[in-house]
Formats: sequence, structure tokens, C-alpha cells
Amino acid sequence: MIKISDLEKVYRTEEVETVALNKLSFEVKDGEFVAVMGPSGCGKSTLLNILGLLDDPDAGSFLFNQIEVAHFNERKRADLRKHNIGFVFQSFNLIDELTVFENVELPLIYTGVKTAERKKRVEEVLDKVQIMHRRNHYPQQLSGGQQQRVAVARAVVNHPKLILADEPTGNLDSNNGNEVMQLLTELNEQGTTIVMVTHSEHDARYSHRIIRMLDGQTVTENILI
Amino acid sequence: MFKNYLTIAWRNLKRNKIYAFINIAGLSIGLACAMLILLYVKDEVSFDRFHNNVGNIYRIVSKNKYNGQEYKSTNTGFLQGSRFTQNVPGIKTFVRVQSGAEDIKTGTDVQSQDLLYVDSSFFNVFTFPLIAGNPQTCLKEPRSIVISEDMAKKQFGTTDAVGKVIMIKEDSAFQPYKVTAVARRSPQNSSIRFEALLPFKESADDARNNDNWYNFFLNTFVVLQPSANLNTVNTEIQKFYVRDAGQTFKEMTEKYGGGGTMGEYFLQPYIDIHMNPELGAQNGMVNGSNPTYAYILSGIALFVLLIACINFINLTVARSVKRAKEIGIRKVVGGERKQLILQFLGESFLLCTISFLMAIWLVILVLPLFNNLANKALAISYLLDAKLVGGYIILYLLTGILAGFYPALVLSGYKPVDTLYSRFNIKGKNYLQKSLVVLQFTLASFLIIATFTIYTQFNYLTTEDLGYDDSNLVILHKDRLKHTDAALFKNELLKNSNILGVSAKNGGQWGTAARNAIDTTIQFAYETVDEHYIPLLKIPLLQGRNFSKDFPADSTQSVIVNESFVKKAGWKTPIGQTVNFWYNNNETYTVIGVVKDYHFASLNQKIGPQLFTMKNDNMYGDYYVKIKPGSATASLKWLRSKFKEFYPLSPYTYKFKDDDNKRAYDDVAKWKQIMLFSAFLTIFISCIGLFGLSVLSAEKRTKEIGIRKVLGASVNNVAAILSKDFLKLVAIALIVAVPAAYMAGDKWLQNYPYRITQSWWLFAGAALLVIMIALITVSFQAIKAAMANPVKSLRTE
Ligand SMILES: Nc1ncnc2c1ncn2[C@@H]1O[C@H](COP(=O)(O)OP(=O)(O)O)[C@@H](O)[C@H]1O
Ligand SMILES: [Mg+2]
Repeated sequence: MIKISDLEKVYRTEEVETVALNKLSFEVKDGEFVAVMGPSGCGKSTLLNILGLLDDPDAGSFLFNQIEVAHFNERKRADLRKHNIGFVFQSFNLIDELTVFENVELPLIYTGVKTAERKKRVEEVLDKVQIMHRRNHYPQQLSGGQQQRVAVARAVVNHPKLILADEPTGNLDSNNGNEVMQLLTELNEQGTTIVMVTHSEHDARYSHRIIRMLDGQTVTENILI
Repeated sequence: MFKNYLTIAWRNLKRNKIYAFINIAGLSIGLACAMLILLYVKDEVSFDRFHNNVGNIYRIVSKNKYNGQEYKSTNTGFLQGSRFTQNVPGIKTFVRVQSGAEDIKTGTDVQSQDLLYVDSSFFNVFTFPLIAGNPQTCLKEPRSIVISEDMAKKQFGTTDAVGKVIMIKEDSAFQPYKVTAVARRSPQNSSIRFEALLPFKESADDARNNDNWYNFFLNTFVVLQPSANLNTVNTEIQKFYVRDAGQTFKEMTEKYGGGGTMGEYFLQPYIDIHMNPELGAQNGMVNGSNPTYAYILSGIALFVLLIACINFINLTVARSVKRAKEIGIRKVVGGERKQLILQFLGESFLLCTISFLMAIWLVILVLPLFNNLANKALAISYLLDAKLVGGYIILYLLTGILAGFYPALVLSGYKPVDTLYSRFNIKGKNYLQKSLVVLQFTLASFLIIATFTIYTQFNYLTTEDLGYDDSNLVILHKDRLKHTDAALFKNELLKNSNILGVSAKNGGQWGTAARNAIDTTIQFAYETVDEHYIPLLKIPLLQGRNFSKDFPADSTQSVIVNESFVKKAGWKTPIGQTVNFWYNNNETYTVIGVVKDYHFASLNQKIGPQLFTMKNDNMYGDYYVKIKPGSATASLKWLRSKFKEFYPLSPYTYKFKDDDNKRAYDDVAKWKQIMLFSAFLTIFISCIGLFGLSVLSAEKRTKEIGIRKVLGASVNNVAAILSKDFLKLVAIALIVAVPAAYMAGDKWLQNYPYRITQSWWLFAGAALLVIMIALITVSFQAIKAAMANPVKSLRTE
């Protein structure tokens, strides 16, 4: 599904130049569950953003389903993204002005799904993350765990092939964190490919493989199964 | 999708009430101003266009040169209309319109009625619908009268008035006139408006006498054949005039002298009259306007709307830090830039729609006030005009786009990777926002200084010493008053101890020209007075003496002149000099006194040459009555009863001279008010915008403020830091506005021969005011932010 080779990303500000990714290469197969670990600032989020087509690399190749997407323009990336990729962030990133239902509905609106179908699919996925009873609440009215479950629901409502999760449990206590990990595992079992950034060895153990990074490069890969 | 946009737009509004209030208040005021001005402009443009024939109606006007200077005149006389129509091909018909007044009565009460004398072709030329009567024949009989529906109701209580009789005074006796038609009320956007029409009076001799080429007192309109060429007609008119009047002109100049040429006649399109300040609506035509008004009003409306749009742009962009996360998320879940642009445009249109509805309500609310200021009689129903509605829709769309497009473009361009990791901050130094604030305050300061200038000038005009005493002076009007009759009435009035003095003077303002011995022509104001006039008005006498009963020659040969007259004549020793009147070569007059120049006209005019006479053949028209201060009620009662006793057939009207003088400045008073309103609106909208920005800036800097306070900064300290940036912008605005306002003010003041000088304190005062207002606006929020508990603000980060 994903094959990156010699991926580079450099941030330049007025004073400093930060090499966030330094000739990074690895592969993720269909249906895999990969955890990315490493110290803060080593480039994990940068990697995820590039994998999620939110950002473009400065050099290197990125094959997504055998298609080279490193040079895609903004519109093509957006198109690919909305049909194939779901995101989960550490800070949930729900829209405060929209209800739970509306937040989850948003990706369907942008992919042009009809109203009735949208309702059905949103309810389905809200059921699955057990937040149906809170469908008309606003994000601020929910606990962190509940918010993250809504975020997961939003990430999967479009049935993406790939889910990218950036420290999904980083802001949660262990109970809530486990619930979210449980959800991701279920999704993976149903065939969704998952790439997850985490600081927690405990969470990493839910995955099939751990990629360890340091200063924009992979150092080791541990295969868990 | 659309519903989603609307939902979030609506929730955003509800959640950010200050922001919504600022934008809606600003935009609705701006839109209301623009709507009113559109209404005004539409009315101006449609003025006089309701006549079916309007494209072919022209007025005969002329231009002439005296002493190398060109003068244009709208006036014509008996001959121009009839002779041109008879002799110049292409002219179909003509109508003469002369303004006047008659004493009328239907019962016992005599009233003075303003009316127009018109030729019987009036209704062929102009389209004024009749309720009853025949437009072809209603003005044919000499003693017929056409009245308006309003007058019919007033005089007879019904519009069914055809055949009824109105008594009109001819010389000294009332004669019956038959109402032959009742006309609909003249449209308010008409230069000709009438309550009553009488057939134009012309004797066979008037029509024959070639001297009448040079007797100007009315407006003549002609209708051209649709096929006629205006240039050809103009050429033919002039050719005919030179041929027909050439001999007369030669005789007249030989007889009376004068530095004029024959002059040139040409046709002015009827629809050009309303907004032509040079050849305007005069002599019975009303509501003449000036395109400058339309420009200034439109400019002000645009200012206000622009300032409101700037608020919207600035606040939306400043708020975008808050919305950046939302934008990032929308993009992450698949939103494209185009869709986001649409979303933000949708939000601006929602605000704009609410503001638009508010604006309609505002317009309806302030229309009466606006009518008063703009000298209009616009009704709410006018708003329903199709073109106007179209204009409003365009205005609405333009505002929505103007206000919404830039923010939409900026906001939709945010990259999700930048916005989702709380690293986000608006980049750059916000030059656009700063320049827009500067622009707002420049406009507002400009208008405030302009208002100060107008106020000071108005104050000067209305309080400046006139050079005579106009207090407690009542003017009673009585037409065609013989000198002997006036003396009787004067003596009677003086029997009441409240009456301190009485004098008589010619009515209205007369002017003529004179030659002195050295043969220079002097145009002067020609005042026929009695011996009491100069002392009564406390006009200072500089040389010689006042008129006196002791010198019988005073009522035939003596004149008194003012300083300007002396200067113009070039006399070293004015007393004893002689004056020849232009129109009558045989009479010469001797100067017996010189008065100090005083403002006999308004301060809008330079004091010109003035000449007083007591000549017996010139009739008086006004009594000047000086009453004891504080005795107005009793005195007026006395004057009225005596007037009715002496002149039962004349209408009684009175006015106070000082009120009358002030009326000359009504125009300035109106502009004063308009400027005050616009200055108030612009500074208000600018300030609420500034307030919004200061709220946002304080929010953005919560953390910084918290840290500063923890490190020991005082409330004043922090408030100063927050206010300083904004005040800098206001200071820049003032630096731009002051010279601009100075130049504009100077240009405007040039219209006044007597004017203030714009002194530094005027600008300093305005600048101080602007700074104070801005300071209050920003410091309010700054102090609030500075007083907040730093622990709280740091924790929320
Ligand atoms: N937009 C940016 N501008 C400048 N530097 C950035 C930007 N985003 C990330 N960086 C830098 O790139 C490096 C990698 O960041 P990131 O991928 O966020 O690390 P991680 O997620 O592993 O903590 C860091 O040193 C970070 O400071
Ligand atoms: Mg990170």
C-alpha cells in the first residue's frame, strides 16, 4: 500500500534549518498495523503528514497503491485523501461549532454522499464507537475518551483503506486509551491498514510491527507477529 | 453541504456576539447610507423625466459679455418664445412661465397665493395630469384659473371644484375667476410645481414693442419637432434675433450706454435644468440642485460602507487564528479550497443578509430625517421602484463580495499541517490590517475636521457683526405702497409705546446701474427708503447727512451711497457728486451722504455698491418696525390689528429681520448637519471595528500578558502595551487626514467672501477628539485584559 524511499523534508525558517526527514525509506503492506516510535522532534508527525498527503516531501519517492504521489498537486492530493485516508490526532481536532453527528458527517459531505445515506452511515459508525447517545452533543460537552472515539468514527466513516493516527492516546488516561486502541485493532481486523505514532510501548504492542525513528531516519524495525 | 455551511455560520454568529454585533451594526448602517444615496441619486436622475415630450422640451437661455466677463441668463421676456416659434423652422410651440403672487379670497379672508402665469399651451408642452377640466381650453379665457388638488381641497373642501369661483384682486377690486381645471399634485421630482395657474397676460402692445427684446422676467420653453437638429435651430435662432433686434439694440445702447454686446441665444435641454448650477431652476422653477451634492453624498455613503466592510475584513482575518483549526480539519477530511471559499463567502453573505434587512428597516426609519437634510420629499413607496430594487440587490451582492472575498481567500489558503499543531500564528506584520485601520481613521478624522470647519464657519456667518442692528425688527409686507399712505400708517403704529420706530422701504431687492461723471458703469443695490431707515437700523453715517424732511429736494434729487459705491466710482470727495441712472439719461442725483458698508445682503455675498433714495415715484413694499425688546406678542397683535384696519384687502404677513437673515444660511446649516451625521457614523463604525480588533488582539496575547504580569508588570503597564499599537495607527491616520482636510476646507471656504481662517486649534481639537475616542475604545479592552488574573490565563494555554 505504501512504499517510501529516500524521503526528505527540511523546514527552513529565517534562522534555522531543521531536517525533519532524512532519506527515510520503508514499506507498509495492505492490512498491516504499524507503530512508529521515537523521541519528540524526530519527525514522526512530519512523516504522518506526508503519508496522509497533507504535506509534500522535498525529495524522495512515495508510492501510494503503486502510484507515485510525491509530486501531486494540492487538488489531486485532496481528492486521493478524501477517498482513501482517515486521520486521528492526539488533540482530537473536532470542530467545536459542530455536534458529534455533524463532525462525523463532514467527510461524507465532502465526498458527496446523499443525505439519507449519510445519516445511515453516521449512525452506524457512531453505534460502533458507542457514542450514539451523544450524537447531538458538542465536543466540549464530552470527555477526552469520548472525543477521541468521535474522531475515530470520523476517520472511518468513509471506509478509508488507510488510517493515520498521531499519538491517538496521548491525551487520554489508560482506560480511555485502551478503548481507542481496541477500536483501532477491530478496524485493522476488518482490513484497514493503520499507521500509528505513539510514545507508549503498551500501545505499540497492539501493532504488527514497530518502526523506530531517530533524527528523521529509521533505526530499527521490530516485527511483533 | 449548503445547510452545513449555514449551520456553522449561524452558530459562529451566536457564539461571537461582539463580532456579530460589530459587523451587523457597521454593515447595516453602511448599507442604509448607500441605499438612501441610491434613492437620492435615482430621484435626481429621474427629475423632470415624467413629461411625455421631455426629450424635445428646451428652455431659451442666453449668454452675454460685459467688460470681458461672460454671463449666462435663464430669463427671457414677451418676445423670444413667440417670435422664434414663428420664424425658426423646427420649433413646434412655446410656453412662457412667469412666477408671481396674487391676493385671493373665496370667503372673507384674503390670502397671498404664489402662482404661475402660463400660456395656454402649457398642458401641451408639459405632462401634468388633470383630475377634471380640458387641458386644451382651460387656460384660454383671461379670467380662468387652474388649481391643484391640494388647493381645491383647501379652498373648497373637495377636488370637484371645476366651475367654482375664486376672487382675485386686480388693482384694488376683487374679480371673479372661474376654476376651469383641477390638476393632480405636481410630482415632487418636478422643477415646475404649482398650486395655481393663471393665463399669461400680454397686451397687443407688449407683443409689438421691439424694446421688449430687452425686458427679461420669465422662463420660455419651446418644443422642437422630433426631426429638428438642435445645432441648426440654435444657429437659426441667433440669426433671426440679430436680424429682428439689431436695430433696437443699437438704439438702446445709444440711449442708455452700457458695455454689453447683443448676446447669444441658445436652447437648454429641459432635463438639464435641475442640476445645472449656472443655468438652474429659477424664477418660479423650484428645487434646483447641484451635482456636487450628489457627489458629496455618494462619497460619504461610500466612505461609511467602505469602513464597515473594512471592519468585516479585519475582524474576519484577525479571528482566523481561532478558525484555523476548523479550516485544517475540513481540509484533512476532504474539503477542497473551492468549497472553503464558498463556505466563507456564505458566512459573509449571511451577515450581509441580516445587515441588509436591518438596513431596510433603518432606511424606513430615517427617511423623514433624510428628506429634510437632502431637501427631498421621498416616500417609502419609492423604494419599490424596479430599478432601485435592482440597484439594492447589486449593492447587497457587492458588499457581500467586497467584505467576504479577501478573508475567504486568506482563510481557505491555510495549510492543515500549519494549523493543526498549535504552532499556528498569523504570519507577517499584518500590514494589510494596519493599513485598513489607518484608512478608516483617515476617513473618519477627515470628516470630523470637516465638521469642525463647517461649524466654525456657520458660527461665524450667523454671529458676525452685520454692521447694523437687525434685532427686534419686524418686517410687514404691503405691496405697492405710496409714500403718503405709508406716513399715515407709521403715525398710527407709533401710538403704541411698544413701537420704537417705523420706516418704509421698497420690497424685495432692486438693482440697477449708474454712470457717474467719469462714465464708469456701476451696478448697485437700489434702496428706496424714508428718512427714518438709516437711524432705525443704526447704519453708521460716515460723511454728509441723512435724508431729512427739512430738505424738500431730498425726495427728488438726493441720494446716499455706501463706501463701496464711492470706491467703485473713484470719488475722492463723494459729497456733492452726481449720479446718472443707466435707464434714464435725464435724471441726475446728488450725493448727500455716505454710509459705512454693512451687510445688507447675506455674508454669502461681498458687500457691493449700494444707493439709497427717497424718490417719490418708487413705491414702498415693506414696513420696518422696531419693537421694544420682549414685547413681541403684544406688538405683533397691535401690528396685525392696525394692518387689517388699514389694508383689509391685503394679506397680512410678518417676519423678523434677524430670522430672515439667518435663513440665508439654511444651506450651510444643512451641510453642517449632514457632515455631523457622517462624521459620527464613520467614527462610530471605525471605533467598533477597532474595539473588535483590540478584543482579538488581547485574546491572542493572553499568554504574553499573563507572563508579563507574573514578571511584575502593572495593569497600566500592560494596558499601555496593548493600546500603543492601535494608537500609533490612529496617529498615522491623523497625519494623513489633517493636510487633506485643510486643503478641502480651504477650497470650500473660498466660496465665502467672508470666512474664517482655519486655525491650528481647530485641527488640534479634532485630532485630540479622535485620539480620545480611539483611546477610550482600545483601553477599555486593554485594561480588562490587563486586570485579568495571570494564573488563569496561563492555565488555559
Ligand atoms: N512547520 C514547521 N516549521 C518548522 N519546523 C518544523 C515544522 N514542523 C516540524 N518542524 C520541526 O521538524 C522536526 C520534526 O517535527 P515533528 O515531525 O513534529 O516531530 P515529532 O512529531 O516526532 O515530535 C522538529 O524539530 C520540529 O521542530
Ligand atoms: Mg508529533
